[in-house]
Amino acid sequence: MRDPRLEKLAELIAGYSLDLREGQVYRIDGEEVSTPLAVALYAAALRRGAHPYTRIVPAGLDEIELEAASDEQLTYIPEVERIATEELDAWTSLWGTVNTRALTRADTERRRLQLSTHYRMVNRRWERISAGELAWCGTLYPSQAHAQDAEMSLAEFEDFVHGACHTREGDDPIAHWQSMSQTLTARARELEGVRELRIVGPDTDLRVVVEGRRWLPSDGKDNMPDGEVFTSPVETGTNGEIYFAFPSVFQGQEVENVRLRFEDGRVVHAEASSGEEYLRSLLDTDQGASVLGEVAFGLNYEIDRFTRDILFDEKIGGTMHVALGGGFDEAGTENKSDLHWDLICDLREEGEVYADGQLVWKTGSFLAEPAVERV
Amino acid sequence: MHAKLAEVVVGYSTEVKPGNVVRIEAYDGVAAPVMREVYAAALRAGGHPTANLVLEEADETLYKEGSDVQLEWISPDQRWNVEHGDVWVVFDAPTNTKRLSNVDPERIARRLKARRPLQSLYLERSARGEFRWLICGFPCEASAQDAGMSLRQFEQVLYRAAFLDEDDPVAAWKRFGDRLEEIGSLLETKRELRIVGEDTDLTLGVEGRSWIRAKGLRNFPDGEVFTGPVETSVEGTIRFSFPAMMRGRQAHDVRLRFEGGEVVEATARRGEGFLREMIGMDDGARRVGEFAFGLNDAISEYTGNLLLDEKIGGTVHLALGRSVPGTGGQNQSGLHWDIVCDLRDGGEVYADGELAYRNGAFLNGASGS
Repeated sequence: MRDPRLEKLAELIAGYSLDLREGQVYRIDGEEVSTPLAVALYAAALRRGAHPYTRIVPAGLDEIELEAASDEQLTYIPEVERIATEELDAWTSLWGTVNTRALTRADTERRRLQLSTHYRMVNRRWERISAGELAWCGTLYPSQAHAQDAEMSLAEFEDFVHGACHTREGDDPIAHWQSMSQTLTARARELEGVRELRIVGPDTDLRVVVEGRRWLPSDGKDNMPDGEVFTSPVETGTNGEIYFAFPSVFQGQEVENVRLRFEDGRVVHAEASSGEEYLRSLLDTDQGASVLGEVAFGLNYEIDRFTRDILFDEKIGGTMHVALGGGFDEAGTENKSDLHWDLICDLREEGEVYADGQLVWKTGSFLAEPAVERV
Repeated sequence: MHAKLAEVVVGYSTEVKPGNVVRIEAYDGVAAPVMREVYAAALRAGGHPTANLVLEEADETLYKEGSDVQLEWISPDQRWNVEHGDVWVVFDAPTNTKRLSNVDPERIARRLKARRPLQSLYLERSARGEFRWLICGFPCEASAQDAGMSLRQFEQVLYRAAFLDEDDPVAAWKRFGDRLEEIGSLLETKRELRIVGEDTDLTLGVEGRSWIRAKGLRNFPDGEVFTGPVETSVEGTIRFSFPAMMRGRQAHDVRLRFEGGEVVEATARRGEGFLREMIGMDDGARRVGEFAFGLNDAISEYTGNLLLDEKIGGTVHLALGRSVPGTGGQNQSGLHWDIVCDLRDGGEVYADGELAYRNGAFLNGASGS
C-alpha cells in the first residue's frame, strides 16, 4: 500500500524545496530501494508541469566498479552525467541503500579514486547551485538498512523520518518549513555580527573565528529534513580541542570517540578509540582536509537521537558540528578539499557556546530567540 | 546462469570494446542481478557501463497524468544514448506485463509517434554499425504468468531458447548463424513469396531486398531471418494465430486484408479498437515494414512473450509500420508491431510460385537449429 506520507514528502520537495516550474528538466537519482519515493516525486513533478526523469540504479554497482574497473575507468565521467550537471534545472538525490556497509572492506585507495571522480561532478553541481542555476535537494527514503543503523524497526524509522520532515499525517509541511526558514534566516543574520565562537563541552574547548563570513540557513531547500545554520570558518582561526561523542561515519566506515586539536586552523593532533587509521587517511586526503570547512548549529528538535546518517545527525537539535575539508563558496570559504566530513559534538547535556565572550547557548539551545523580521 | 548470460551479451551479442559507452536498462529491479553481471562484464571488456531502472509506476503516471507536451518529451539521457552511445542493452523483465492495459491507446500512439525520429536514428546508426542495441530476455514472474507456467519452468524455456543449456553457447549461436546464412542466401534469390494457411493467402514482393540473419546480436534469444517487403506489393489476407501485443495491450485473432501494400480491412475478435488506433497512428502504420521467418526450433510453444514467440521455429511474422534499415525497406512510421502466424500445422510458402516451405520447415533441408 502507498504511504500517504511519501506523497506529502514528494509534494514538499517538488513544491517547496525545489519550487519546480513548468517546463523545467528535473532528474531523480537513487538506488532501487528508493523507488517508491522516486515514483512519488516523479508524479509530483508532472503535476507541476516539469519534465521529470529518473536515474535509478541497481544496488551494488560501486562495489563491482571497484573490483573490475581500471583506474582509467574509475575516473571516467559519463557524458550523460556531465550534461546533467551542466544543464538540469532541478535535481534530487535519494540516498537510501540496502546495505550502508557494503563498501566498508573496499580498497581504500581505489575507493578514494572513485569518490574523487564523483566529487568532480558534485563540486561543479554546487557551483551551479550557488549561482542559482540549479535547484537541488538531497533526501533519504527510509529503508531497512538505515533503520538498522539507527537501531530502530523500519516502522519506527519511517515515523522518525516523517517527524523530522514534518510530513506526518495532519502536518502542514510547507507552513512549517516556511516558518523555520524565517527563524533560521534571522539566526544567521544575528551570527554574522560575531567575530569568534568558543565552544565548551565535555573535553571540548574550541575557538573558531567566523569574522566576515556569511552564515547560511539550511531551511529545507537543499536537504530534507533540514534545520541548521552554518558557515565556513576563517581558515587560520581555529584553536583548541574538540571531542566528538557520537561515532563519525564517513562512506560507510565508522570512527569512534574522535578527538582533534587545532592550532592556527590546522589539525595538529588526531586520535580515535577505533578507526584511527581511517581518520588519519581522511586527514591526509589533501592540504585542505585538516582545516575546517564548516561550523554549524543543529536546530531540528524533532531529530532527537543519533542515527549514523549525517543527513539527520548534523541537524540533531542541540548539537554543533564541524566539517573537515572543503568549505562553502557562499559562506566565503577559501578552503578547498575533496573531503567534506561532518563530525558531531553533542552539547545537549552539558555545553556552552560563547559569542565574542558572551554566553549565547546552553545545554542544547540558544538562550534567546532571534528577532524575526516580518515580511 | 546470470554470469553466463552476461558473458554472451557482452562478448558475443554487443561485442563491447574498450572505451565503448554501454547503457544497461530494465523495467524496475527484476533484472538487477543480471544487470550487475553485465555491468561487471562490460567493465572487464574495457567499456564504460551505466545502469538504469525504468520505473514502471512512473511510466504509468506519465501516460495517465502527463500533458501532451510531457508525454512527447524525451529525456537528455535517452537522447544522448541514441545519438552517441555505443551499446544499449535492455532486459525484458517487467513486474507486470499488463500495467498499461487501461491506458488510452491514443496516449500510447502519441508517445510512440513523438519518439519516431529517435527510433529512426538508432536504427540507422545500428545499420551503419555505430550503435549495438540488444533486447534481452530475462526470466521473471510476469512473463512466466503470461506463459501459464512457473518461474522455474519459464527460466528453462528461456535459457533453452538462448542455448544457455549448452556448454559453449557462443559456439552454438555461431553454428546456428551458419544455418540462418543458408536460408537468407536462398531467400535473396527470390522475387515473390506467397504465404498460404488457414484463412491466409498473402503475397509479398521481396525482390532486391536484403534478408537479415538475426543470430543473437539485436535480440536475445534470437533466430529469424527478416526483410522489408516492397512497400506497395503486399496483397491478400492473413489471419494471425497469436494475439498482437503492444505495451501490454492485446488484439486477439487479428485478420488483415491488404491491397496495393496497404491494410484495407482490419478486424479482431477482441481489441479491435486498439488495433485500429495503432494502425491509424500514421500513414506508414498501414504498411508492412518487416516480414520474417521464425527459425529457432529450441522454442516450440507460445508464451505470450514476443521476443520468444516471433522466433518459434515454424512461424512467420510481419510487422506493421517502420521497416528496419539495412533490409532495403523504405517504410516510415512511429509503429513497429510484430504479429505472429503459426504455419506448423499445414502452412505453406511458395517462392516465385514454387513450394519452398511446408508445415513450418523449408523443403531444401535448411531448417532451424
